[in-house]
Amino acid sequence: MDDKQRMSRRRFLQTVAASGAIAAVDLTQEGPFLSPRKAFGAAPVRFQFSVPEPLRISLVESLIDRFHKAQSEVEVKVEFVPQAQARQKLVTSIAAGNPPDLSMMWDNWLGEFDGMGALEDLTGQIKGWKHYAATTPTAWQTVTVKGKIVSFPWALTNDAVFVRTDRVKEYGLKMPKEDWTWDEFLTLAKGFTKPEKNQYGFGMRGGGTWAVLYATEFLYGNGAQVLKDGKVVINSKEAVEAFEWYIDLLRKHKVTPPSAPTDAYRQIVEGFGRGVTSMYLHNSGSVEEQKKFVGEPNFATLPIPVGPAKKRASFYFSETLTMFKAAKNKEGAWKFMAWLMDDEPHFDYAKTLGLLPTRQNLLERPPYTGAAYAGFVKSFPFSIVSPYLAYPGWGGKLDSEGVPIFQQAFVGQLTPKQCLDKFAEMLTKNMA
Amino acid sequence: MNRDASVAVPAPRVFLSRATRETLANYAYLLPAAVCLGGTVVFPILKAIHMSLYQNVLSRPQDYHFIGFGNYVRMIHDPTFWLTLQNSFVWVFFSVSVQFVLGFLGALLLNASFKGRAFFRTLNLLPWIIPGVVVGLVWEYLYQPNYGPINDILRRLGLLTVPIAWLSQPTFAMASVIFANIWRGIPFFTIMILAGLQSIPDEVYEAATVDGASVTQRFWSVTLPMLRPIIVVATATRIIWTFNYADLIFVMTSGGPANATQITSSYTLLTAYTDLDFGYAATLSVILLVIMLVFTACYLKLTKGVESVSG
Repeated sequence: MDDKQRMSRRRFLQTVAASGAIAAVDLTQEGPFLSPRKAFGAAPVRFQFSVPEPLRISLVESLIDRFHKAQSEVEVKVEFVPQAQARQKLVTSIAAGNPPDLSMMWDNWLGEFDGMGALEDLTGQIKGWKHYAATTPTAWQTVTVKGKIVSFPWALTNDAVFVRTDRVKEYGLKMPKEDWTWDEFLTLAKGFTKPEKNQYGFGMRGGGTWAVLYATEFLYGNGAQVLKDGKVVINSKEAVEAFEWYIDLLRKHKVTPPSAPTDAYRQIVEGFGRGVTSMYLHNSGSVEEQKKFVGEPNFATLPIPVGPAKKRASFYFSETLTMFKAAKNKEGAWKFMAWLMDDEPHFDYAKTLGLLPTRQNLLERPPYTGAAYAGFVKSFPFSIVSPYLAYPGWGGKLDSEGVPIFQQAFVGQLTPKQCLDKFAEMLTKNMA
Repeated sequence: MNRDASVAVPAPRVFLSRATRETLANYAYLLPAAVCLGGTVVFPILKAIHMSLYQNVLSRPQDYHFIGFGNYVRMIHDPTFWLTLQNSFVWVFFSVSVQFVLGFLGALLLNASFKGRAFFRTLNLLPWIIPGVVVGLVWEYLYQPNYGPINDILRRLGLLTVPIAWLSQPTFAMASVIFANIWRGIPFFTIMILAGLQSIPDEVYEAATVDGASVTQRFWSVTLPMLRPIIVVATATRIIWTFNYADLIFVMTSGGPANATQITSSYTLLTAYTDLDFGYAATLSVILLVIMLVFTACYLKLTKGVESVSG
């Protein structure tokens, strides 16, 4: 017997011994020790998830776990990226030709990525999807770029005013109704303002892109618009008058904290939560947080007040599930997206984050029937897609140039008119 | 005995002379360092110069094209650039000068003999050890107008009735971030100058005392001249770091309000990663490089002078 044959016999004996050991262990188990391998596809779906807060990590991990248990064909590998780096990471990965298959992103990024030719056109597939007709049409508008549906609207939200109802009673103020006016808003803000107690009526936002968006929502109340007949008209007479009123909340009436010119998301949410402010304008994403901060019975939400032109607007935005043209596993990515949009995963995602599901049947379930969400649901009739989604070139510029321009008005370096003129000039320059 | 006759054969002529081979060997030893420096310093600089000559907005790849000095012309006409450059000089001048003065005083104190000196020397290093981002977050909290300790203390002392938004008003914002930066940078000067003080021989002071020099005279005529090389090196290093240091500003104000605290290095970051305009960001980087090169040239000249004085 040569060496080669002896080695073969040794290997044979080792194999028999190993099989015996596995069989022995298997007898003690209820299920098979070696279960059949999951039939995942060759390439796992790479899913980039942008994380603005830690709560989302466990939520997404649990959803992916449920998806893996629900089927055995598609494997999903999630890459968590801090929100501040998410857009930049996507842009650089697209430029390098290696984007993830799928990403969660905000709708105001879509135009820019579509401009790069990076997004998969999902129009055909989505129009044949089982929940297409049941989804609110506005949700589809937020993810439609140049007539193409490029994403699923994973969760939707709009803006409403949070009001401390316990303070309304404490200070003997009148709780406004849902069709309240700017005058009533100002009266209430003044009633809440007690500087000696470090309490202010309105948590105005001066930092981050939404500083521009919230101000613009008030401008719409006076009949202003961002675009009209393809021209930027955000510096119209109506806009300037409305902006003067808005700036006066800070500079003349002093019903906002003095830090308003730089207060961003965290400051306005915490300011309300800590009792420094008694009203603030925000999306439904902070409802669950405020339930913990101030308690559900102590606050309510109201639609944005009606302006002098008897108009008002709340801007929708959505968190999207977006597939890239260069995705390596498009079929798997589609299956995962479609599963996430099924009733239960979709509802769980939206509810956990305080966002709104995109189908009416899910909005009829608690907690969306409570007072904490009333302002958002009642704002649906006058909610519109953000006018700043019109041009991809406006995406980053709102933040890098728009916010400093608005801050100049907040701190008094520019008059409201000068500010809006400068802002309109910036928008016009970047209409690409 | 038969002896083999041998004929002297000339040694084969070497291709390179000994001196040349030694020179080449020396260069070969330098090669790894040169490759590392070339890959990590020279290539990125050349790449940045190359990028600065192109219209290169990552989100508009179809617009990518050569524009020559277009970005430089844009920079000259960009009021935000000039504002940030002015802010950079204010930021660097006040940060470094106050850090130096307070760091010097700290070094003189810690050079004296007293009980617990080792403990205070360690304590002194604390602000320098903490990462810049954490320093930014801590100071942002301290300055917070609604629940921050600084306003609270001032109110309790009766010095304030309405809280001051330190980081939200252009008049206070730059001073506030500079103050935080000063707090962080003092230990650097303290430790550098302390090392210098300890290297001055006692005999020099003794000789000066014998000659009748007062404490002030000893400081101006002995301590300061002998510390000069260290002061020059430490100050120059700190100026370069501070000019390029954007972490604190990014965390505390993001350059706001209304660009009041925006320095050129943070503006470069914003241009690259918010506007995704890598062409213009590269232009700003090249200009920062030129400013720092000019400064370094002056610094080298000054250092040379110091060496001749001390040596």
